[in-house]
Amino acid sequence: MSYLVLARKWRPQLFEDLVGQEHVAQTLKNAISADRVHHAFLFTGARGVGKTSAARIFAKALNCQEGPTTTPCGVCPSCVEITNGQGIDVLEIDGASNTGVDDIRELRENIRYLPSRSRYKIFIIDEVHMLSINAFNALLKTLEEPPEHAKFIFATTEPHKIPVTILSRCQRFDFRKIGLTSVQERLRFIVDREGVEISDRSLVLVARNGGGSMRDALSTLDQVIAFCGEQVAEDEVQGLLGLVSRRLLIETLEAVLERNAQLALTLAQKVDEHGHSFRRFCRQLVELARALVILKVVDQPGELVDLSEAELQELRALAAPAALEDLHRLLEILVRTEAELATSHDQRLTMEMVLVRLAGLPSGIDIATLIDRMESLERKLASGMPARPSGHERPGGSDRPERPPLPDLPPPGGGGKKSEALPVADAADKTWAGLVAYVGSRRRPRVLALLEQSSPLQLELPRLRIGLPKKFHYLADADMRQAIQDLATDYFATEVRVEIEQVNGGENAPLSLHEERVRKESDREKKLRQNALEHPLVKSALDIFGGDIETIRAIDKGFV
Amino acid sequence: MTFESITGHDRQKNILRRALKADRIAHAYLFEGPEGIGKRLTALAFARALLCVDGTGCGDCPACRKVDHNNHPDIHILDAEEERIKIEQVRSLQQELMLRPLEGRYKVCLIDGAERMTVGAANALLKTLEEPQPNTLIILLTDHPEQLLPTICSRCQRLPFARLPRRQLADILAQRLDLGETEALILAALSEGSLKKALGQNRQLYLEKRRGLIQGLSALSAGSTIPTFSLADELATEKELLPEILDIFQAFYRDVLLLKHGRPESELVNRDLLETLHKHCKNVTTASLMKKLKALESARYHLQRNVNRQLAMEIMLLRMVDA
Repeated sequence: MSYLVLARKWRPQLFEDLVGQEHVAQTLKNAISADRVHHAFLFTGARGVGKTSAARIFAKALNCQEGPTTTPCGVCPSCVEITNGQGIDVLEIDGASNTGVDDIRELRENIRYLPSRSRYKIFIIDEVHMLSINAFNALLKTLEEPPEHAKFIFATTEPHKIPVTILSRCQRFDFRKIGLTSVQERLRFIVDREGVEISDRSLVLVARNGGGSMRDALSTLDQVIAFCGEQVAEDEVQGLLGLVSRRLLIETLEAVLERNAQLALTLAQKVDEHGHSFRRFCRQLVELARALVILKVVDQPGELVDLSEAELQELRALAAPAALEDLHRLLEILVRTEAELATSHDQRLTMEMVLVRLAGLPSGIDIATLIDRMESLERKLASGMPARPSGHERPGGSDRPERPPLPDLPPPGGGGKKSEALPVADAADKTWAGLVAYVGSRRRPRVLALLEQSSPLQLELPRLRIGLPKKFHYLADADMRQAIQDLATDYFATEVRVEIEQVNGGENAPLSLHEERVRKESDREKKLRQNALEHPLVKSALDIFGGDIETIRAIDKGFV
Repeated sequence: MTFESITGHDRQKNILRRALKADRIAHAYLFEGPEGIGKRLTALAFARALLCVDGTGCGDCPACRKVDHNNHPDIHILDAEEERIKIEQVRSLQQELMLRPLEGRYKVCLIDGAERMTVGAANALLKTLEEPQPNTLIILLTDHPEQLLPTICSRCQRLPFARLPRRQLADILAQRLDLGETEALILAALSEGSLKKALGQNRQLYLEKRRGLIQGLSALSAGSTIPTFSLADELATEKELLPEILDIFQAFYRDVLLLKHGRPESELVNRDLLETLHKHCKNVTTASLMKKLKALESARYHLQRNVNRQLAMEIMLLRMVDA
């Protein structure tokens, strides 16, 4: 007989051996002793927590020659057969290899026959989540009302892949992950029987490496024993498991928290030299960062963190000067990095980049206080000072800076300012601006463009004298003059004589409409800037943050 | 292949030797570690020692010879077919493993690239992997253990393999390829501890073209649109070598990053370009370096997903130049 790994050698043979699954064991035992055994069971849970073992123990308990018992004898032919996985009445089916509907049909053929020797015919289907949908459906009727002599036990790590119709026909048992101490006790029990010397601390390392799975822990123990023989030293365990030493981890976190990128990089180099995987390194950093956050929030973490008192002290010293916000971000970034490392092309570079980034992060205190101050500012604004409205509605605040509506385009009727500048002769609202608007309405773009650039020098009907800047003067030929004259005649409803003159920039001719608009625009900008600078919100913001106003942009032209 | 002829991995070899000696051989091992560092060789050496008539892996007995010639009837090797290992392959392997060994004491099965098993194949293997017939040894080899199902990992004894140390690799390279020390170190650093990579066809690229590539890259500046695009064009034509070229760029910026944080020059990859590195180091901020590295990383990500190569290169270079 070849060597059996510990996980197989020490596979639980009794309900009592099932570590960490007392709730399942008790329920099953009670069902047996009360003779209320259901016909279909579903065992779910993480890898290596005892699903298959429980299924076998349960099968033994039902089929033991001593009668259905909570303590299978383990010596009768039935028990021995099941332990060896050869029972003719206990069929252990690999659900992942026999996935098709035909396999299930075969099973249904089989189920009609009475068990050959034992009380029950028991079907253990392991990895049942891999059955095809058709296979599951083919099983439904049988599963609901199987013959009296048949029992089903399904085991899987992925219960979510199983149809609800199957779930509703089974009694479901959820297997928990096994606690660290339970694993450790079981490991101690096994190493004592195996005659291996190993310290408690090493066992803790091994147990922790299992991550709540007994089989993982036992595989690790196997590995440790294979390497170290009967005498196991702690540092060997650490090296074997690829664990980065605590010292290195704590120093790394220290370097990051002290914003010392150089030291952090040196430590990363060390990790690489020791041949550790960076993913492992990061995972351990995450664990430590988690412990730091917890220590920051809770004084006595108790079971939240499984570390010794000395280690806790060390971490407390590390956590004390750091802000919770900082630790939070540290943890968050590390957690994200751990996932990134899985797909990363160059893990070392990714880790180095993260360390540099972590060391370069601005302190979280600033942000936290900033937010505080902003909140207090908001409160102040909400209670006392009126805030700037978000839309067009006008608040009733009295000390709100006056903002007269500034029309974007000159109104067709002509505003006060313009009519002053215009030498108006006609009182009947027939103005220069009116003429220009009229030209626009007649769809004469060329004429309109020229008129917008020109200044009305004299408007005393029937005489209309127009000044044009030099650069446009050449456009005003005889045709153009005629066109203007015709349009003006139509507009003023009286004979108009148009004269066109050339004016130069510096002369005090009245402004053309175009120039006026340009000037108004800049006036408006100035005014806006003024208003914005005086706004209490802006002032307070400048007070708190410091800084300059670089530009002011109007969001909505019609707003102010 | 014997343990002695494999470079490095002393710890792993020791573990296996002790297991052989104490006859505590687990039924399933998982060898995990980067590509091309000797996992498969180690597995074969282990198999040979196990199947050897003398029990030592002598190399002379018929069993050892058969292992060396890849025709031992008790060794089954599962390789990926068309990128994946399929459930049919696993099923036929299971058939084989039901039988007793033909010649030796053990039946050995190697699954190379175990992460490439389909979900169905991996699940189908679970029961076999947990409780195979006596005298069966299953060795899974993988570059990416995190892509394996946790249920697979939990059934194996894991044996992590580390990269070969740079110094050690450089010594071997210097010896085998007759290189100068600097060149050997650069090659060792760029091949990331993988002997397969260092001895492969990339040697020429790493040693000769590297300088030109780095100079081309470092000459780019925010204003030089046309050179940027023409470099992108040039890169896009290098279909096969593109990942390695990106490696070179990455190593260059990493050097700058390290230099910026005061790491000694002995740690750098491009130690023949110290002047360029120092110049760069002065001109560039850490934040912009990070952005450049991120741009490289995302270009790599996109290339793996079959985007237009030229477009990917253009975007990468533009982002790097802008950073």
